[in-house]
Amino acid sequence: MDQKKIRNFCIIAHIDHGKSTLADRLLQFTNTGDVRKMKEQTLDTMDIERERGITIKSVAVQMNYTARDGETYSLHLIDTPGHVDFAYEVSRSLAACEGALLLVDAAQGVEAQTLANAYKAIEQNLEIIPVINKIDLPSADIESARVQIEDVIGLDSDMAVLTSAKAGIGTEDALEAIIKYVPPPSGNPDAPLRALIFDAVYDSYRGVVIYLRVVDGAIKKGQKIQLMSNGLKHDVTEVGVFHPEPEIKKELGAGEVGYMICSIKTLKDTQIGDTVTDALKPAEVALPGYEEIKPVVFCGLFPAVATDFNELRDALEKLQLNDCSFEYKADSSDALGLGFRLGFLGLLHMEIIQERLEREFDLTLVTTMPNVAYQVTMPDGEVIIVEKASQMPSAGDYELCEEPYIEADILVPTEYLSTVIDLCKKKRGIHVRVDYIDKRRCMAIYQMPLSEIVIDFYDILKSITRGYGSLEYRLIGYRPGNLAKLDILLNGESVDALSVITHRENAVAIGKLLASRLRKLIPRQQYEVAIQAALGGKIIVRETVKALRKNVTAKCYGGDITRKRKLLEKQKKGKKRMKQIGTVEVPQEAFMALLQLDDD
Amino acid sequence: MLGIYIHIPYCRTLCPYCDFVKVRTKTTVPEAFTDALCSEIDAYDGPVDAQSVFFGGGTPSLVPPAQLERILGALHNQFTFHDPEITLEANPDDVTDELVQAWKDLGINRISMGVQSFDERVLRYLGRRHDVGGAERACEIIARHFDSWNLDLIFGAKPIGAWEATLQRAVEINPPHIAAYGLTYEPGTPFEKRMDDAVDPDTSLELYKELERILADYDHYEISNFAKPGRASRHNLVYWNNGEYAGFGTGAYSYLDGVRARNHSSLEHYLEVPGEKEEALTLTRAEEKVETMIQYMRLHEGIPRADYETRFGCAIEADYGVALDALVARGLVECTSTHIRPTSEGFYLNNEIGLELLSAVLPE
Ligand SMILES: Nc1nc2c(ncn2[C@@H]2O[C@H](COP(=O)(O)OP(=O)(O)OP(=O)(O)O)[C@@H](O)[C@H]2O)c(=O)[nH]1
Ligand code: SF4
Ligand SMILES: [Mg+2]
Repeated sequence: MDQKKIRNFCIIAHIDHGKSTLADRLLQFTNTGDVRKMKEQTLDTMDIERERGITIKSVAVQMNYTARDGETYSLHLIDTPGHVDFAYEVSRSLAACEGALLLVDAAQGVEAQTLANAYKAIEQNLEIIPVINKIDLPSADIESARVQIEDVIGLDSDMAVLTSAKAGIGTEDALEAIIKYVPPPSGNPDAPLRALIFDAVYDSYRGVVIYLRVVDGAIKKGQKIQLMSNGLKHDVTEVGVFHPEPEIKKELGAGEVGYMICSIKTLKDTQIGDTVTDALKPAEVALPGYEEIKPVVFCGLFPAVATDFNELRDALEKLQLNDCSFEYKADSSDALGLGFRLGFLGLLHMEIIQERLEREFDLTLVTTMPNVAYQVTMPDGEVIIVEKASQMPSAGDYELCEEPYIEADILVPTEYLSTVIDLCKKKRGIHVRVDYIDKRRCMAIYQMPLSEIVIDFYDILKSITRGYGSLEYRLIGYRPGNLAKLDILLNGESVDALSVITHRENAVAIGKLLASRLRKLIPRQQYEVAIQAALGGKIIVRETVKALRKNVTAKCYGGDITRKRKLLEKQKKGKKRMKQIGTVEVPQEAFMALLQLDDD
Repeated sequence: MLGIYIHIPYCRTLCPYCDFVKVRTKTTVPEAFTDALCSEIDAYDGPVDAQSVFFGGGTPSLVPPAQLERILGALHNQFTFHDPEITLEANPDDVTDELVQAWKDLGINRISMGVQSFDERVLRYLGRRHDVGGAERACEIIARHFDSWNLDLIFGAKPIGAWEATLQRAVEINPPHIAAYGLTYEPGTPFEKRMDDAVDPDTSLELYKELERILADYDHYEISNFAKPGRASRHNLVYWNNGEYAGFGTGAYSYLDGVRARNHSSLEHYLEVPGEKEEALTLTRAEEKVETMIQYMRLHEGIPRADYETRFGCAIEADYGVALDALVARGLVECTSTHIRPTSEGFYLNNEIGLELLSAVLPE
């Protein structure tokens, strides 16, 4: 392929602005892929993506497009996720491209991730083409979107392409803009091979499939390659591109984006950001890789049935082949037995991993309340990382406790500013500044403890701004916090899996909330259950689940004895989903009681 | 020995809480149904020694005596009866001296009366066809003709305060047998939408204890059943002993030779192919064991150890040792040298017994 005829670009935007739908139109327009398999958001292939209507993983596709200039170009498109938890997917994809389509929903305007993603693309020197999408909507305001693109992002809005991905308007204009504005890749086809690994997936039939972007040289079947990070050598068994189904190619030349299958067995042996070179003629310098991403939210994951522990371990191993962005290590709890401690990039990420484990591996899991990781300095100067409440030393036993802080950019229409400021204050936010970005909107910049953001901040923000508020944040380091461990006791016994770390000021309020939610969640059982919250050994709240005094099928079932037994069996299954803690049966939801949003 | 159950799926009006198999009829039970029923009985080919017949429904008091005679005739052709208890469920409105005499002449020796309440407001809430006056009149007639009869009551219906007076009235009438069931709001019935009316377990227990207190002169021999000496329902004991029974009629269940089967519950289907099974399930040994235990645990007397040993060839403890220990520790069950029986707490929390027993024999 003539390098000048190659264009590599990704589609970036705030969540739901229409990236995957626009990708559909581009595929259709270029006759890429099997028309019969086309559906809405074709590239969102995972069940969870389809059910939730969001993209979780980036996907790369190759298209051939004959432009108005009569030439045929090879376009490599990467559709990216918009949700903040998956920001790392966007960063990786950007590094494989020379240009980006930055979508702006004409009815919503520029939002927090529009900005964040635009800045990332600018940092990587990508050519950005603004696309104003959803122009078919009655509430579309193209002019104001243009103004925002100019004033807020600082792009030339004359370049902006107007599209309706839904109605198929402007598709060709978008393609032409890509040809016109996105530069062809500039790598050297004659230099030794250098290809950037920007993603890898595990396919149970084909093994590890590595997504790469060839920068210099070429890669072909049979070639012996070397990974520059660890020097390991492998034989390439297949290279190709996605249409979106894989299509085997003889080789991938400089500037091309595609996949490679080689003798690598597990994703653990694959480093995203690594450089692939030719083992016989290695390049001297590796390509710049990626910053390593670190989980920020942690929770315990336990099999509902203790004997499923091994199955859970196998499932985690397999799932990690597909998503190496979560971490896990073995863990144990007095209350829940053997399980794992997992780290995630955010709450949505956590939900998705949990759901995939339950669904794809048919497991029933008990998840504990998520929390962030704290740094605790002990009197002897040792710093320990506290990833769960039970690891937290008692007050007085440590010198200093620090918690992670983030800086948040909150983009809201000005009329909601004061409500948002109140929310930030309530969440222990430190005001940095407010930027007025145009007549109607402003950006509140706050520094806040991460722990206040991960749980429900985004949902509350959405609800108090009628959906107009959006949020972007980045970690800025650790700061001292007045934190305390809130213990939860059932019938006088402390239950490690229920305790939480909270800010001391909120401890009583959270203790009350937690106890009252537990009272509602724990079903009545033969004996009364006392629920207590304690702070530093002192009981601050008590709630009681009254004893169950009557539980009998009063109905006369006549001859229908089996039906009655089956009803009992169903009830028993329900009980099996509960965890027996001492004499108390605790339903799984109880361990996440604080996550429920209904405020009581 | 067998119990025989006959299901008559017709009612004059449909009570909104009821989820039994039934349809409305403006008059009496049509001859076509009796034809189908008799043909089903004629086709029966199973064990023949029987000790009881129970006409349930629906409303069996809507079957004209001539048709009852045909049905009983068909039964006599097939079965060998041993001093049978023959019960017929009756709606108070249908009871007349004349009809009752006809029932007696046919050999029916026990009546079960669906009175439900002696409070007008409760009867209206339940959407019953009869009123308090009709119920009292019917009881009076039945009491004159029968030594053995049952009064059905429902507790938990609004206004719940009326329960005590209903019980007092029942005691005054002094039937030899009383059955009292808690009102349930079943899916698929009009009452499903009134679920919010349901009493909480605490109130339900209060009502139940009131029942136990006021019926103190009766033998509380089963969770929902009270009898004067010698008046326990022999037919229902077949169920509680998990014994064999043959069921005829729409939606009727049978339990013969380890197979629990159900007739088609659609009347059209039944009339077309009487006796065709909608489902039939061969119970495993473990299922039979646990169902036997669950059923017996509804009885005050519990299960005689000897019966279990004879039936299953092993001691109860061999199958349920751990579960029984747990149940005894929870105060729900008592073990004597001859019986395993529920305590009074074990009556209130009877499902807890079932749940514990299930875990013992059917792990997973
Ligand atoms: N009216 C209208 N709706 C659109 C248009 N483009 C996309 N949508 C709708 O917007 C919603 C989100 O579209 P997606 O394509 O899934 O958005 P996305 O940007 O890929 O979302 P994430 O991947 O989750 O960030 C869907 O309901 C689409 O049908 C458009 O041009 N007009
Ligand atoms: S009379 Fe009996 S069977 Fe008929 S609807 Fe009423 S409760 Fe149900
Ligand atoms: Mg998408």
